[in-house]
Amino acid sequence: MPMYQQQQGNSCSSEHALQNGEVDPAVKALEARQDEILRKLYELKAAVEGLAKTVTTPDADLDLTVSSSLSSQSSTALFTGTTDLDALLGKDLGALRDIVINANPAQPPLTLLVLHRLLCERYRVLSTVHVHSSVSSVPPQLLSCLGPRHPDSHSRHMFQLGFTLIWKDVPKLQMKFSVRNMCPIDGEANVARFLFKLLAPHPSEPALATLVDSWVDTAFFQLAEGSSEERATALRDLGSALGRSAWLSGPELSLADVACYCCVLQSGSAPSAPANVRRWIKSCENLGYFSHAKTLLQ
Amino acid sequence: MTKESAQSAAEEDQQAQSKKALKKQQKEAEKAAKKAEKQAKVAAEQQSTEEDDFAKDRYGVSALVQSQQKLDRKLVRVQDLTPEKADQLIWLRARVHTSRAKGKQCFLVLRQQQFNVQALVAVGDRASKQMVKFAANITKESIVDVEAAVRKVEQKIESCSQQDVELHVERIFVISQAEARLPLQLEDAVRPDGEGEEESRATVNQDTRLDNRVIDLRTTTSQAVFRLQSGVCQLFRDTLTKKGFVEIQTPKIISAASEGGANVFTVSYFKTSAYLAQSPQLYKQMCICADFDKVFCVGPVFRAEDSNTHRHLTEFVGLDIEMAFNYHYHEVIESITDTMVQIFKGLRDNFQTEIQTVNKQFPSEPFKFLEPTLRLEYTEGVAMLREAGVEMGDEDDLSTPNEKLLGRLVKEKYDTDFYVLDKYPLAVRPFYTMPDPHNPKYSNSYDMFMRGEEILSGAQRVHDAQLLTERAQHHQIDLEKIKSYIDSFRYGAPPHAGGGIGLERVCMLYLGLHNVRQTSMFPRDPKRLTP
Repeated sequence: MPMYQQQQGNSCSSEHALQNGEVDPAVKALEARQDEILRKLYELKAAVEGLAKTVTTPDADLDLTVSSSLSSQSSTALFTGTTDLDALLGKDLGALRDIVINANPAQPPLTLLVLHRLLCERYRVLSTVHVHSSVSSVPPQLLSCLGPRHPDSHSRHMFQLGFTLIWKDVPKLQMKFSVRNMCPIDGEANVARFLFKLLAPHPSEPALATLVDSWVDTAFFQLAEGSSEERATALRDLGSALGRSAWLSGPELSLADVACYCCVLQSGSAPSAPANVRRWIKSCENLGYFSHAKTLLQ
Repeated sequence: MTKESAQSAAEEDQQAQSKKALKKQQKEAEKAAKKAEKQAKVAAEQQSTEEDDFAKDRYGVSALVQSQQKLDRKLVRVQDLTPEKADQLIWLRARVHTSRAKGKQCFLVLRQQQFNVQALVAVGDRASKQMVKFAANITKESIVDVEAAVRKVEQKIESCSQQDVELHVERIFVISQAEARLPLQLEDAVRPDGEGEEESRATVNQDTRLDNRVIDLRTTTSQAVFRLQSGVCQLFRDTLTKKGFVEIQTPKIISAASEGGANVFTVSYFKTSAYLAQSPQLYKQMCICADFDKVFCVGPVFRAEDSNTHRHLTEFVGLDIEMAFNYHYHEVIESITDTMVQIFKGLRDNFQTEIQTVNKQFPSEPFKFLEPTLRLEYTEGVAMLREAGVEMGDEDDLSTPNEKLLGRLVKEKYDTDFYVLDKYPLAVRPFYTMPDPHNPKYSNSYDMFMRGEEILSGAQRVHDAQLLTERAQHHQIDLEKIKSYIDSFRYGAPPHAGGGIGLERVCMLYLGLHNVRQTSMFPRDPKRLTP
């Protein structure tokens, strides 16, 4: 196709010009039809590519790369099942329930940023980013990592949930919610577990629940912080698990996938992973929530 | 008795008398001899003193400096006495902080503001015995001119700010002598209270300090506090000027009490009375109506409140801001909080020496803040308090203990000492506060807190004459008294908001001190009018 265009470009005016320099209207019409056909072909190509991604990515409801061309506004929730914020977080006392996360800018918590996106899909979330006085400055992408400011953010009480991220000089990530009733939660893994519970009911079946938890541990202890041997072992385990099912804990996406994806990415071991894992990475990235995390690493 | 026995008795008497007299004479002679000996000795000593004092010209009390001559002598600052100057001969002028003689030597500590250095006058080829004695007797706080050689020291001198060098004095002259009895000792004034109690050494109580402020201000702690305060003012001006604000000056003698009648000072004004301004509120707003758009002013504020608390003064320095905004008063809150954050950053980055100096005497946690500033809504604050067991109504104002508790709860959750509480109930705010557009119980007003204590009260102002009149009537305010205020809004007024802080209170809270009199140079309260 590119060849066609080039030829067309070259031959345009010189060969088909009439004696007075004008182009024959018939030729113009033909060119216009060709342009139109080319444009349609390109559109179709994009659509087919998008569909191909959808087909190869298991269980993805909507691929954001397709949605723009198909101009669909709505995105169905990735997780079904009811969760009641009042039941989980305590009775609503008429004020914003604000989740505060203190993170070190040297180790941005990618898992939590992905979960934040998922939370925003499900609830009206007021997201704010602060820099604590213990840190002198922070790169701009960390300041905008929760996305653009919500137009209603001047009215805190209109939101169901607050997500306040504070970049601070802390040795370990820490979450605070209800200071009176809850102790702080330490570590990205544990905070991820807490946030995920706000999205989907924890698998009630004990075996499945334990499986998800063990993958989360694998992600944070072996993939992120482990030696190169431990990482290699973990990647092999990922590979064999993904040979048996579409997502790590079965046919459904779970926290296991979110955690493992982020840790694989942060450890930089994606290129050397087994084929299954690489395919699964691509599937994750096809879901819009994960791509943001990737850009943050750059 | 016979004539013979009487005679002998008389003779005996005479003999006795003459014996007594002899003894007396002898004693007197001895005394005289001793005295003569002593006098001779003193004379001899004096002679020897005068004879031996080869250093006579190198010390003494100078004549009063009446600008007799213009010496081109360079005086070195104590803070510049570092090993780099080793072996140089320099002149400096400082106060005698302490002096003690030890045999043939006299150790002096010479002080200049926050810096001090050890100096040594030793009998040798430059200094005589008499000179050492003179140096040891110079009263504390006297100002001296010293010529000395800077020498490196083997062991660090821990008790001085200049730890790596000491001065070997060659010449020392007293420029201004201090009286021998000082109303307070500077070492006592700088001693932390805890240490004073533990080691039963004296500390100085606040009233004594304030009564002798001139001496108290010389301490390293006071020097640090007021330098930091100067920094706050400077940062306030610089930040706002960069944001395009204009500094204005407002009148302090006014005709009507602005905020609410009770707490104003009255002054006699020719044939009538006038008041000292409680705040520049009215004039700030008039400036906005006069199209200055963004203004700030720094000036005295007078409150005749009979409150004898740790945080109230009858006169303090107000730093006030007023700003026209486009669509939402949060534009103003953001401007104010950003200014505060720039001040905190400026202090954190440029005044660490001063902060550490103050902390030595008054230990406290360093001041923490978030950027952008945390803004909570009043309902959230009430919810947090209720969760902590406080019982209060939705529209109740926050009592001081509740403010402090809320400050602690916010600190626990967000780890910040500075935050904004937005959307106060309308009922507890002044009449000129703009009500909330959606909920009549609340208003577009806010307070800002540092370490749980209020430092700023502000709001969007009512800029419509009609609404303002209604609100004033609702508050049962005499409309005649505020006629000129309402008139300002009759000829087109932009929507605007603002607030003001107290310089002394902000410094006190930033440093974690506990009494605003520590950050006011010459404080005024219901019981104090001098110095």
